[in-house]
Amino acid sequence: MNFNFEINWALLAPLIVIQAILLIIALFDLVKTEKTNGPKWMWVLIVLLIATFGPILYFVIGKKRD
Amino acid sequence: MKKWFVLHRKEWLEMTLNYKIIWIPLIFVLFGLMQPITSYYMPEILKNASNLPEGSIIQIPMPTSGEVLTQTMGQFNQIGVLVLVLAFMGIVSSERRSGMIKAILVKPVSYPSYITSKWMSVVLLSAGSVFLGMLASWYYTVLLIGDFPFIDMVKGTLIYFIWILFIVTFTVFLSSFLKSSGFVAAFTLVLSILLSLLTSLFEKWMEWSPAQLTNAAASLFMAGDIEGPLLLPLITTVILTALFLYLATSRKSSV
Amino acid sequence: MEVQSLTKSFGKHVAVNDLSFSIEEGHCVALLGANGAGKTTTLEMLASLQKPTKGSVSFLGVEKKDFREDIGYLPQYPVFFSWMNAMEYLVLMGELSGMSKAKAMARADELLELLGIADAKKRKIGGFSGGMKQRLGIAQALIHEPKLLMLDEPVSALDPVGRREILELMKLLKETTTILFSTHILHDAEEVCDDVIMIHKGELAVSGSLSELRRKHQEDVIVIAADENLDAWAGSIESWDVVSKVISANDKVEIYVKSVAEARTQLLAEINEKQLPITSFTVGQTSLEGLFMEVVGR
Repeated sequence: MNFNFEINWALLAPLIVIQAILLIIALFDLVKTEKTNGPKWMWVLIVLLIATFGPILYFVIGKKRD
Repeated sequence: MKKWFVLHRKEWLEMTLNYKIIWIPLIFVLFGLMQPITSYYMPEILKNASNLPEGSIIQIPMPTSGEVLTQTMGQFNQIGVLVLVLAFMGIVSSERRSGMIKAILVKPVSYPSYITSKWMSVVLLSAGSVFLGMLASWYYTVLLIGDFPFIDMVKGTLIYFIWILFIVTFTVFLSSFLKSSGFVAAFTLVLSILLSLLTSLFEKWMEWSPAQLTNAAASLFMAGDIEGPLLLPLITTVILTALFLYLATSRKSSV
Repeated sequence: MEVQSLTKSFGKHVAVNDLSFSIEEGHCVALLGANGAGKTTTLEMLASLQKPTKGSVSFLGVEKKDFREDIGYLPQYPVFFSWMNAMEYLVLMGELSGMSKAKAMARADELLELLGIADAKKRKIGGFSGGMKQRLGIAQALIHEPKLLMLDEPVSALDPVGRREILELMKLLKETTTILFSTHILHDAEEVCDDVIMIHKGELAVSGSLSELRRKHQEDVIVIAADENLDAWAGSIESWDVVSKVISANDKVEIYVKSVAEARTQLLAEINEKQLPITSFTVGQTSLEGLFMEVVGR
């Protein structure tokens, strides 16, 4: 499948920036936090590999509340 | 009153330190932006994805601006509600479980102000997130799809937010009664899904339902006018919200 | 502080039953009892964390439901916001007590100094040791200058060093504050307190000042050890006027006596006459431990 229409990157920039911010905060928090629900490396993979939903999943169920 | 603000400030400090103050609004803005963008590119994507012989023309009608905003609201009702409920399910119950609630209530602080300071922080953050998300969606919709009156977007979002207010208040209420945060989330989500489902199935009997507010906002977006019930669901929702908030503040027999 | 027939029941289970006692200003009082005797429930009711099923509490002559303004309370398992530092936490607790921020900060500085954790004031509480957390907990309880300081098992979770430190600290604090603390260890109570309130299964067993209790419940005891079993002989002296009770086990006989001087003369004469093969003859007093065990064992 190849896209042969013009993608307006300026239009998509905010989406990419927001996703990047979510990813960075999730990773930063992962490094700082002591314990997560489940192994830490698993969450690193989830955050990195699952676009958009990875960081969201980490925030809502990965963080251990003390 | 001063102590209430001290407690409220503590909630914001906590939400800042665990980044809730950033990621919750960002998720709403993200999904708000996504809707108009997908609508805009959908014909192109479909054209490229399907292996049609060259020269064939497919006609996909571009959705109207109102439809896009309604779809955004639909997204918020699924992912948005899920995020809010999961983010706030432990707001009281986790402090009860850890014993933190005792550490606060040994000081001369009233239980209602402890609960309402938390509730207010939840309400404000949810409101900010929903409004920012809708604003982002509206901006991109106007840019890509077509003009839509700003004031109608604000009105619709306000009506829709009353429904969200009801959901988050119910979350705080359950959180103040149940020990397990998981049950808080499960029960709240079941309630929200059940109410929406029953409301769409039995429209005649469910005119009072808080979920009607979503329908009212949708009709405002699509037709520019509210058809169907508004006042009745508005009244029941406000009453139910007040009732759940009151119940949440009334338990203090043992902490 | 006067406590009148305080009762707390959870369904059918009665945790605290008709408990009445009083605490005098300036005294250090230990609430003594075995685990599960209702110590924590009692303290939490006084701290308004639990509602009493029945009974009333008055403080300095005023009867109220809520004394949190006047009481500083350290729960048995104190928890803190681990993401705050010591100073932030104390200021928060001070402000929640109705102090202004400036006043809370000044008081927090003072307390951190007094409790010896001033150098940790900017450190996150998450990294504190058990003893430091306990100190911070006490600081938190003292922040609003309460008239009564209540500590729930302040030393039981600590290692011997931490325990020693906190006990010394309590001795220091009792100079300026009225203290009520719960413990299941008599020794701790005897070390720092003036008065004790012993409770058992939610009911008041014994209360009073330690010196008075010692006077009332302490008995003189003569312990004789020998090379052979003295059971038969022990039975024979039980009828003596001067003896109140005899416990004989193995090669040791404990003789509780009404008058040491008289009993000593008579016993020594008897031993001489019967040529008992004794290895030791000790004159002493029962400790309050005996009383405590009696109360707890009932």
